Amino acid sequence: MSSPAQSDVRHWLSGLARNSRRWVQATVWAGVLVGLATIIQMVLLAWIVYLGVIEEQPVSSLTPCFLALILVLVVRAVGQALQSRFAARCSEQVRKHVRLQLHEHWQSLGPVALSDASSASLTREWLDHVEALHGYFARFLPQMMLSVIVPLAILALVFWLDWLAGIFLLLSAPLIPLFMALVGMGAEKVNQQHFETVSRLSGQFLDKVRGLTTLQLFGQTEQASETLYKRSDQFRLITMKTLKIAFLSSAVLEFFASVAIAVIAIYIGFGLLGYITFGPSSELTLFSGLLILLLAPEFFQPLRTLSQHYHDRAAALGASAEILARLSQPATGSGRPAKLPQTVYDNTVNLNGVSLSYGDGPAVFNNIFLTFKRGETIVLTGPSGGGKSSLLHLLAGFINPDTGCISVFGQSPGAAPFGWLGQKGFWIQGSWADNLRMTSPDASDAAIEAALRKVGLADLLDSREQGINSRIGEDGQGLSGGQARRLSLARIFLADYDLILLDEPTAGLDATSEICILDALHKLSEAGKTLILSTHHQALFTLADRVLVVSDGEVQNA
Amino acid sequence: MHELRPWLTLIFQRRRRLFVGALLLLATFISGIALLGLSGWFLTETALVGLMFAAGIQAYINLYVPGSGIRFFAVSRTVARYFERLYNHNTVLRLLTDIRVTLFNRMAVAGHRDRGRKTGAHWLSRLTADVDALDTLYLRLVAPAALAAVVALMVVVLAWILFSLQIALVLLALLALAFVMATWSVYRRTRELAGQLNDRQEHLRSEVIEHLEGFAELTASGRTGKHASRLIRHSLTLSKEQAVVDAQVGWHLALTQFLINLSSVVALWAGFELFQSGVLSGPVLVLLPIVLMGLGEVYAMLPDAFGKLGATVSAAKRLNEDILPAPAGSVSGILSATSDHSELALTATDITVGHPGSAPILNHFSIEIKAGERLGIVGASGSGKSSLADTFAGVIPPISGNITALPCAYLTQTTVVFEDTVKANLLLGNPEASDAELWRVLELVELADRFAREATGLDTWLGSGGNRLSGGEARRLVLARVLLSNAPLLILDEPFTGVDSETRDRIAPHIDHWLEGRAVISLGHGPEALLPSGHTLHLN
Repeated sequence: MSSPAQSDVRHWLSGLARNSRRWVQATVWAGVLVGLATIIQMVLLAWIVYLGVIEEQPVSSLTPCFLALILVLVVRAVGQALQSRFAARCSEQVRKHVRLQLHEHWQSLGPVALSDASSASLTREWLDHVEALHGYFARFLPQMMLSVIVPLAILALVFWLDWLAGIFLLLSAPLIPLFMALVGMGAEKVNQQHFETVSRLSGQFLDKVRGLTTLQLFGQTEQASETLYKRSDQFRLITMKTLKIAFLSSAVLEFFASVAIAVIAIYIGFGLLGYITFGPSSELTLFSGLLILLLAPEFFQPLRTLSQHYHDRAAALGASAEILARLSQPATGSGRPAKLPQTVYDNTVNLNGVSLSYGDGPAVFNNIFLTFKRGETIVLTGPSGGGKSSLLHLLAGFINPDTGCISVFGQSPGAAPFGWLGQKGFWIQGSWADNLRMTSPDASDAAIEAALRKVGLADLLDSREQGINSRIGEDGQGLSGGQARRLSLARIFLADYDLILLDEPTAGLDATSEICILDALHKLSEAGKTLILSTHHQALFTLADRVLVVSDGEVQNA
Repeated sequence: MHELRPWLTLIFQRRRRLFVGALLLLATFISGIALLGLSGWFLTETALVGLMFAAGIQAYINLYVPGSGIRFFAVSRTVARYFERLYNHNTVLRLLTDIRVTLFNRMAVAGHRDRGRKTGAHWLSRLTADVDALDTLYLRLVAPAALAAVVALMVVVLAWILFSLQIALVLLALLALAFVMATWSVYRRTRELAGQLNDRQEHLRSEVIEHLEGFAELTASGRTGKHASRLIRHSLTLSKEQAVVDAQVGWHLALTQFLINLSSVVALWAGFELFQSGVLSGPVLVLLPIVLMGLGEVYAMLPDAFGKLGATVSAAKRLNEDILPAPAGSVSGILSATSDHSELALTATDITVGHPGSAPILNHFSIEIKAGERLGIVGASGSGKSSLADTFAGVIPPISGNITALPCAYLTQTTVVFEDTVKANLLLGNPEASDAELWRVLELVELADRFAREATGLDTWLGSGGNRLSGGEARRLVLARVLLSNAPLLILDEPFTGVDSETRDRIAPHIDHWLEGRAVISLGHGPEALLPSGHTLHLN
């Protein structure tokens, strides 16, 4: 997987924003409401002080102002609460949409290409990386807009009150994009560095925990603990070096905010004393002066909040890059499924001039023609790497041929449900019934029990108190490889599939499981199912109507 | 909350660092509040004096002290903030290390059995998440909450000195209510849901993993779509529940800020009475409400942090359950050593093998292995041979019966390669081994050429979990590590997993020769997977 360009990632993110525009807009509106309420709060506060201290009005006449002030505080609080309420839902649709997109991609890749990536990392993408998008849509994006709107509103008011003070603020306004870049660079660095340190630390820690038994067996736990400590301390020292620089950028923002407040306070103070003989300062009153002072920190506040949310952006960009890399991973077996001319029901499985190669590698198959009849049992054998699995994957529709076409009883491969038994077999945490209902959701209890008995799991089932409703891993041991494969075979018994594909059904199994599976396959064959299986096992050859040798891109009768 | 106690104790071992960090944080808060408060005082003073000047009244104003005070706080706010961030980040990184090292040490003294079967990838990822949750304990919870309380009390005292006791008490009540709102109340309202969210997410994670592992079967039966929409539905429910928690936090934050702003209005309103009765000057009247508004910033980070406390507490709870129980006995690799001169390398008398709480795997098993003897044990997967090997090596005690054994070196069925150099990985087997000995043992497993080709030789970095090695190479490396040990007894469980048969056939005789005179028990799924053995047992 190559990592996509930064610009592509940003483009993709802004494309996603369309999915939740309503909530983002609502969040911004609520934020604007909070901003306006804050401005009015400061206006009323300065006005009350002016009336009381300068005009020396009695407290009783100030009551309406105080009540209005409290009302504004209520509006501000409600706005604030609404803002976080809306923000909480900003990315709901985005997350759902991306998860759907990822899943559709999994489907288009098919099981074979999908198994190239570990299920843990695919799960992390689907779950954690998608979750990391939330902060960007809920916090960063709305705050980005607010950090333009609210300062502009304040600036306009300050200009109206005293244009010289307005110019002080305005002088820092062109610096705002610069601040944003500075803060961004700093915050990104901090975030990245911190993330790296924590993950390296976790890596070291997990590495030791994973191998703890080994360390104990060699009596080396104390040394390992010392190494862990030393490595962690090294990480800390390296990280601190970077942070010394990275924190400077946010210090610059803090510095400008502080200096702006100090300069404005001193300018207004001198203006009120009448020491400043030019400009608008002769018109300054305690009302306008105090208001400008109170608004100055609010002018910088949205930017400071934005810098706190910067790590959300960095996290979302990182996560998006990985998601995007996954989404742009092309399906292997590049050919498109050839549309069959018409869907005619027939009783054969046909491969017509099929060729297949992986990437630029040599051809796995070159123009092969095969026909299997319904109800036949076909055994594919041959050296490993000869193409047995590829042939099964083609018949399953997991991969598509480069040229030629395949039809399974008149339909394209994979169009109708079929039975599949891979080399591993799998089971989920849950009861025996849950496991079988994964592929046959409507199966009755009796049918499930019968299917489990047919694959020789009767003894195991009888030893459990709750029968098919007892949990599989109840004794904490789970299933052995052979048992898991028999469980998977039981799923096939439960559903009524016409075609059953099996990849090395008995490889690496103990004798009991081997006999059970042989017996079960015999039953399926008797029931008139079409079985196509790959194997090295002589015992399975006895089932076959035809044995084919798959080797070097050729398929021949044995 | 008591779940957090052991972790808080651990954190408070760095008392001095925490104290200095808190002081810096306090300096930051106070500078910010003082900058605004002093500016407000200064403006009101100049406005009043300016009016007197305008009326032609002689008045005196000291511009120097407030002017330099304002400049001082403007700078101290920036400087204190910068150093506070730097210092506290350093503290957090130290605490990260403390927590991990302590956890590791506790896990190391607890036996294998106490860890139970908690070794899977799932458990490890959960452990990581839980430890990460504790990382935020100091900087996000303890320090801000303590300082918010301290700063609020300082403001109340200021109100008492400047205004009156009565007003100070009213403010105390409002600020205390805001504090409860921002901390305890958020925690109480979100505790349950926040604690569950983590569990639910982990549950969803295992469902997604199962979905992927069964992808071929689900595709074959045409059920990927249905199954996936179930997963998406679950994830949507999770998002909605997270939104409920976020909204709760939002309401509490809004309410907290409202109470603080309200306290500022109350101070101004009540202050006017004092002002008009002449007890209070105008500038002082303006000072306190502005200072109170500044508290908003101090309280602002609390609700969010306390909204996550529920998750932190349940993480701490899980960690406590996993690793805190008093160690029953340490694993030394041997149970009770027979004397070194003994004729017998291992004696097992009527042992029952199994994990406590589940059905025994082997009953009434007895065996004697003489010094220098070779024994092979063959059994299918699930026949209990790995449990038997664990029992021989002393990793799990027998449920009943007795085992005595010479010191042994044990190659476990799982291949464990550490994220370290080749050398560090090998030296675990014998810390005193020389480089020459290391090369010799690598030669034995046909890995010497592989690492001699690398520029860094024995110092070649093996990557996370040894991911720079193929499965077969990794197996041979850990085999070499065990061969390096001088123990008179070796237990090798599936020594050649993942090693191709040609290599295996080449190296097995060499290994056999190298181990001459030592007792070896090798276990495998078939006779070909073993070292050449004197006799072979079959487990059923």
